[in-house]
Amino acid sequence: MRSIGEYLRLYFMIEAQYIKGRMQYRADFIISSIGMFFSSLATLGIFWVIFESVPDLAGWSLMEMVFIYAFYMIAISPMQILFDHAWQLRFHIQQGTFLKYYFRPLNMMFYYMSEIFDLKGLTQLAVGIVLLVYASLQLNLDWTLIRIALLFITLFSAALVQISIVVIASCASFWVLDSYPVLGLAWKLREFSPYPMTIFDGAFRFAFTFIIPIGFVSFYPSQLFLRPQDVSSLIYFSPVIGIGLFALTYWVWTKGVNSYTGTGS
Amino acid sequence: MSLIHVKDLSKHFKILNRREGLGGAFRDLFSGDFRTVEAVAGISFDIDAGEIVGYIGPNGAGKSTTIKMMTGILKPSGGLIEINGLVPYENRIRQAQIMGVVFGQRTQLWWDLPVIESFKILKEIYKVDQKTFDEHMDMFNELVGLKELYSQQVRTLSLGQRMLCDITASFLHNPQIVFLDEPTIGLDISVKAKMRTIIKELNRTRNTTIILTTHDLGDVEALCNRIIIIDKGKILYDGDIKKVNALFGAYRTLKLQIDQFNETTLQTLNDKLTEKFGTDHGITISENEESWTDVTIDQARTPLSEVLNHLMTNFTVMDVRIVEISMENVVRKVYDGALT
Repeated sequence: MRSIGEYLRLYFMIEAQYIKGRMQYRADFIISSIGMFFSSLATLGIFWVIFESVPDLAGWSLMEMVFIYAFYMIAISPMQILFDHAWQLRFHIQQGTFLKYYFRPLNMMFYYMSEIFDLKGLTQLAVGIVLLVYASLQLNLDWTLIRIALLFITLFSAALVQISIVVIASCASFWVLDSYPVLGLAWKLREFSPYPMTIFDGAFRFAFTFIIPIGFVSFYPSQLFLRPQDVSSLIYFSPVIGIGLFALTYWVWTKGVNSYTGTGS
Repeated sequence: MSLIHVKDLSKHFKILNRREGLGGAFRDLFSGDFRTVEAVAGISFDIDAGEIVGYIGPNGAGKSTTIKMMTGILKPSGGLIEINGLVPYENRIRQAQIMGVVFGQRTQLWWDLPVIESFKILKEIYKVDQKTFDEHMDMFNELVGLKELYSQQVRTLSLGQRMLCDITASFLHNPQIVFLDEPTIGLDISVKAKMRTIIKELNRTRNTTIILTTHDLGDVEALCNRIIIIDKGKILYDGDIKKVNALFGAYRTLKLQIDQFNETTLQTLNDKLTEKFGTDHGITISENEESWTDVTIDQARTPLSEVLNHLMTNFTVMDVRIVEISMENVVRKVYDGALT
């Protein structure tokens, strides 16, 4: 068996080459980055329109919303950058090209996901970081060392939640001929995550907290920094939720991989 | 002990009996009406180190399913496979280390990377040491002139170049077994020839066991000492290629288009051939389609060139084609008892 260190080394080696290769398509890189930049800002436009007509959203100010959104952008970046290949799983499965991932002495999820490193996700990450710094300056947030540590822990957990939702949804293609509706649902749902969960009524809030926990992608952890006084104790479970959900995802993936029979050749 | 040991291996698939039409599709959603398809129905064989075995059969015979079980993708429904004493399905990562696989036209190299970088990543994945790596790369370079392709991205290679890279890449980590599934499909004759030379050379120099599945009987003739013919999930023949050679090596079919073809032409043809080569000429004549006539010749008894000459001088032949015998024909002949 290979150690984590060996896998990391291999990962950097593959991605360094991959990035070198992609950089040859400079126009592709520039255009997709610009596209990502503007689509990241589009949601801010929606916020701006909303706050033109209302002073606050369920008690949350514009700048607080920007913070929640920035947290969300950072939290979904690892999924975008490292797990982007999940989106293509259904094509590989349908066309039989998924077979090749069985033939290397490597962990299959590692090998599969390592094939794509999505550069435009870096733009998203950068925009998220800039917005987070900007919003916390505007809000005069007090960044103690403990809070910074908490920020990293909650971001890590939130990233795991987002990765898990997308990868689990993509695994549907191991059993379903056309898994697009499932993936589409996962994609649509994440658009709810940069909003305060308090604006949703009971059933939705329950679902977004306990069933498809997109509340943990941004809103619950952001509360910890914006309104620490009325944070729910649930948030302290976020690492458990993130790691637990990823473990479940890995289990589903393994089940899928073991049940795949491929196409005829 | 043999390298690959397969005993009473079987694989069933459960398939839903689908109904027709949209209404049928809805009813299928709740249907428990399955039928079982036996893709592989109890096969056994042993393969020793260094053999090149042709694993052949018509479409849907169960070839792919067997290979998928041997490479650890599919779990057998029954029976046993052991490779080096280990069960592939339970030891995928360890088995992958000693195997190389090339699956038809689907490349396993990194699409966006230059060829040499793919090889370097493979070196890392299989933990090949620098000395072995250099030796292998020199050898591959000698065999296929790989160096010229080093800096090209895999996506820019032609199919032939890519297949050559894929084949050599599958030998990089010095595997004990290499599975080649349709390695020459879609390639032109010169690349095909090159491919066969490489496979033979690599087998000879490192004693690598090679399992070859193919539709191209030319591949089998050029490479294999032993063939296993499978149809409908069962082994029809397992043994020396020389015996089978008589089936597809010796037989060639001439397709002729004869001017003024009519009901008596076939009879006249037969008479002319008997006149020249005697009654035991080993030639069968049959009408094909629209004035094309098939003349199947057993070259062990009558040389093809002489038959052709004789026909050309006695008839007005407008067009001629020489057809290699097909996999389906071989299988049909085996069923007809040609090997017993």
